[in-house]
Amino acid sequence: MRLVAMQDVGFILATYVATFIGSIALAAYYLRRGRRLADQLPPEDKPWA
Amino acid sequence: MTEIETSAAPASETNIKPPNASPVEVVSRRPSTGTPFTRILGIATLVSMALLVLFGLFLSPEDIVQGESVRILYIHVGTVWVAYVAFGLTALSSLAFLWKRTTSLTWDRIAGASAEVGVLFMALTLFAGAIWGRLSWGKFWVWDARVTTTAFLFITYIGYLAVRGLGGSHQQRGRRSAVVALLAVLEIPLVHFSVKLWRGLHQDGSVSDTTKVKLHDLMLFSLFISLIAFTLLFVWLVIHRQRVLAMQDAMDDKGLDYALEQRRSEAGL
Repeated sequence: MRLVAMQDVGFILATYVATFIGSIALAAYYLRRGRRLADQLPPEDKPWA
Repeated sequence: MTEIETSAAPASETNIKPPNASPVEVVSRRPSTGTPFTRILGIATLVSMALLVLFGLFLSPEDIVQGESVRILYIHVGTVWVAYVAFGLTALSSLAFLWKRTTSLTWDRIAGASAEVGVLFMALTLFAGAIWGRLSWGKFWVWDARVTTTAFLFITYIGYLAVRGLGGSHQQRGRRSAVVALLAVLEIPLVHFSVKLWRGLHQDGSVSDTTKVKLHDLMLFSLFISLIAFTLLFVWLVIHRQRVLAMQDAMDDKGLDYALEQRRSEAGL
């Protein structure tokens, strides 16, 4: 495995993991907040729906 | 609850799949910020991110000078590109909002959504840069011109988001934050040209100037995938955030009316 042979693999993986976790967390927050608000509002306030 | 009562309730409340419903219909049943376009965009983003991991971590070769730490740059360059685009879009949307014929709050919301996503990507840029700096320079942080101006840009846009959170009407919020956005964007050329203006540790561009450095084709391709993946992610995030902000504004304006109407209907008045 090429990855195992890498020098400083922990640093490199930490960068990728932090980036993906940060992005996924923000996306999940937007989706959750969007669903919560969309449940409370009538269709005319959601022109994209 | 009996089985008969469960089947009498609307499918949207019980998540029961009607016999003839397609998977797309079931997914779109609950109101959300998603549309068929954003779902396709989301799938494209996930695929491009998977390709980024594949090329960035496994298929691209190590650099002659930097070694394996070059793999961090596929994240660092992609995230800083999106941060620049985000702050540029914030400025353009703010300008459109201030333009007398188009004082639509949609522009203000796009500006706010874009800045918020830009702040996340700028934080990730600084994080990836710090890790790369630890491997290349031996330190997580140096007071280099590019690094310092980038941190300053990050703090400026946190300030922009704080200004958006101040009280007042939506129009007041839009005008106030648009002025801040148009001032903040002036920092981007300073950040970009800081490596030329002041001698520092941070390297100059490697892709644009081919006379200095010749990049391996797989490295170039990995960088290309990174730019595509992060741009798709940015567009997806901004679309969803802009819709959330639109609903938040509607709730601020009419939330009390909706709540009263709901209570009246519950009471049968």
